[in-house]
Amino acid sequence: MNISIDVKDIDSQVRVSVKGEIDAYTAPKLRETIFPLSEKENVNMVIDLTEVAYMDSTGLGVFVGLFKSIRSHDGEFRLVGLSERLRRLFEITGLADIIDIKSDTEGGLE
Amino acid sequence: MEFQSCVKIINEWDIVAARQLGRNVAKELGFGSVDQARITTAISELARNIYLYAGQGKVCIEKVYEGNKAGLKIIATDEGPGIQDIRKVMEDGYTTSGGLGAGLPGVKRLMDEFDIDSVPGKGTDIKATKWLR
Amino acid sequence: MDFRETMEEKYREALSTYLSEQTENALYQGQKLSRKTIEYKVSPEEIISLHKSILMDIFPETPAKVMHSLDFLLEVMIGYGNAYREHQSLRHEQQELKSELEIATNVQHTLLDTKIPDFDGIEIGVISVPAKHMNGDYYHFVQDENECIGVAIADVIGKGIPAALCMSMIKYAMDSLPETGNAPSDVLESLNRVVEQNVDPSMFITMFYGLYNPHNHIFSYASAGHEPGFYYEAATGKFRDLDAKGLLLGVNKKTKYRAYEKLVEPGDMIILLSDGVTECRTEEGFIERETLIQYIQNNIHLCAQEIVNNIYKQLEKLQHFQLRDDFTLIILKREV
Repeated sequence: MNISIDVKDIDSQVRVSVKGEIDAYTAPKLRETIFPLSEKENVNMVIDLTEVAYMDSTGLGVFVGLFKSIRSHDGEFRLVGLSERLRRLFEITGLADIIDIKSDTEGGLE
Repeated sequence: MEFQSCVKIINEWDIVAARQLGRNVAKELGFGSVDQARITTAISELARNIYLYAGQGKVCIEKVYEGNKAGLKIIATDEGPGIQDIRKVMEDGYTTSGGLGAGLPGVKRLMDEFDIDSVPGKGTDIKATKWLR
Repeated sequence: MDFRETMEEKYREALSTYLSEQTENALYQGQKLSRKTIEYKVSPEEIISLHKSILMDIFPETPAKVMHSLDFLLEVMIGYGNAYREHQSLRHEQQELKSELEIATNVQHTLLDTKIPDFDGIEIGVISVPAKHMNGDYYHFVQDENECIGVAIADVIGKGIPAALCMSMIKYAMDSLPETGNAPSDVLESLNRVVEQNVDPSMFITMFYGLYNPHNHIFSYASAGHEPGFYYEAATGKFRDLDAKGLLLGVNKKTKYRAYEKLVEPGDMIILLSDGVTECRTEEGFIERETLIQYIQNNIHLCAQEIVNNIYKQLEKLQHFQLRDDFTLIILKREV
């Protein structure tokens, strides 16, 4: 079970690409890497999940925590490249209504 | 107190001097080679803590007698930052430097008696004794 | 006789044999000795010291430099001896933690215990199995004065002890609700406020709450982001998703939950589950909801409890008896 997280700062936008599996073992690494970035004022963060093969509810917890933190610092937060399964997870939990998961990868991340 | 001598710990070489002093006294008292090595390892650990965390301090070696048994007592004192949570540093598995077996629990294990006093901001005072069997 | 007293003699014997003839047998004696020395907690430095003194005895012509090298080796091994003793003590500690955890598990059982209502006209089957020691899934039944049956199924994001602690709080909050007349959407709204105030920001709870009225057979329900269950319609033999929309508990203090209602006909079934059921991973990937429906269909002639038991057994086997997530499955069936 592995995860690789790539963070790039381009045009005042924080672009994060996640590869691998997000579960109880890898979620702490994800949280530690991205959380500090979410605590800056007005941050604009896009997370690309195209290459996430699996994510369980622990991963959901990380993204909700991130979302809350960014919102409290007046920032913007988007998730792109969700698989059908991930999209369903966000829809069931009602998170799709509050977190932006709809915009396409195009124009977001190359 | 019949005998006490001390080594000031300022740089790493002083750790060797403290070990040498401890070994000489241990030999005089008649400790075997295993116990000699345990005593000097304990001295090393204590002196190294002073060197790394307190900057300076001293290690004293004392011959002690109780009834008809004799022993060696290490007294390590410094005026460094002290220890906030003694219980925590005495826990196995908790160590800021080195791996398994190091640190104060290691010293306690190498010796027969162990006593620590520390006041944050004032310094630390550790006494450890090994008895001759 | 104590091994330590005879150790020196045995070591001397084995070492002399090996020094005179380098046979495998002599080495085997050495290996047997090491098993004993470990059993009696003889430290490595003590063995080196013993080795040196015996060598001096049986082979006095050993060059002085070799002897000195053994003193050096002894010094090096002190650290290993200490590490070994610390390892022993940590192992002991781990065993203590393990038994503490077992006690905690029992406490959790008592704390979260719920009585499954025994009521004419409705049949209930339940199975809930934790992936680790403690269960982060939770289900709860209540029966109020009007004989309405309330059923809650919840899942804390996360597993193990933190999830279990969080569940105890939910249980306490549910116990503090008024005894009667709790509409499912109201229950979720008040629990949401409790969770929002008291739980770590990255910890969330999904919950489905349903209330079955045995007089008019109306099942009203609401969901806070919980994995949708199924509804089985006996008249058509069809399954459909028990869809209900609502945000997870604990994200937003002001969340409102929509109320849904369904008239339950004789033979109809309400199937509730935790995501441990649908997140069940097999070699071919995740189990599809259709597959799950198929399993239920295959067991549909059985009573509710037998159905949930059989499905658990089947999914457990599919995952080679290794659960990745807590598993809870509940079936309510209106008797014909």
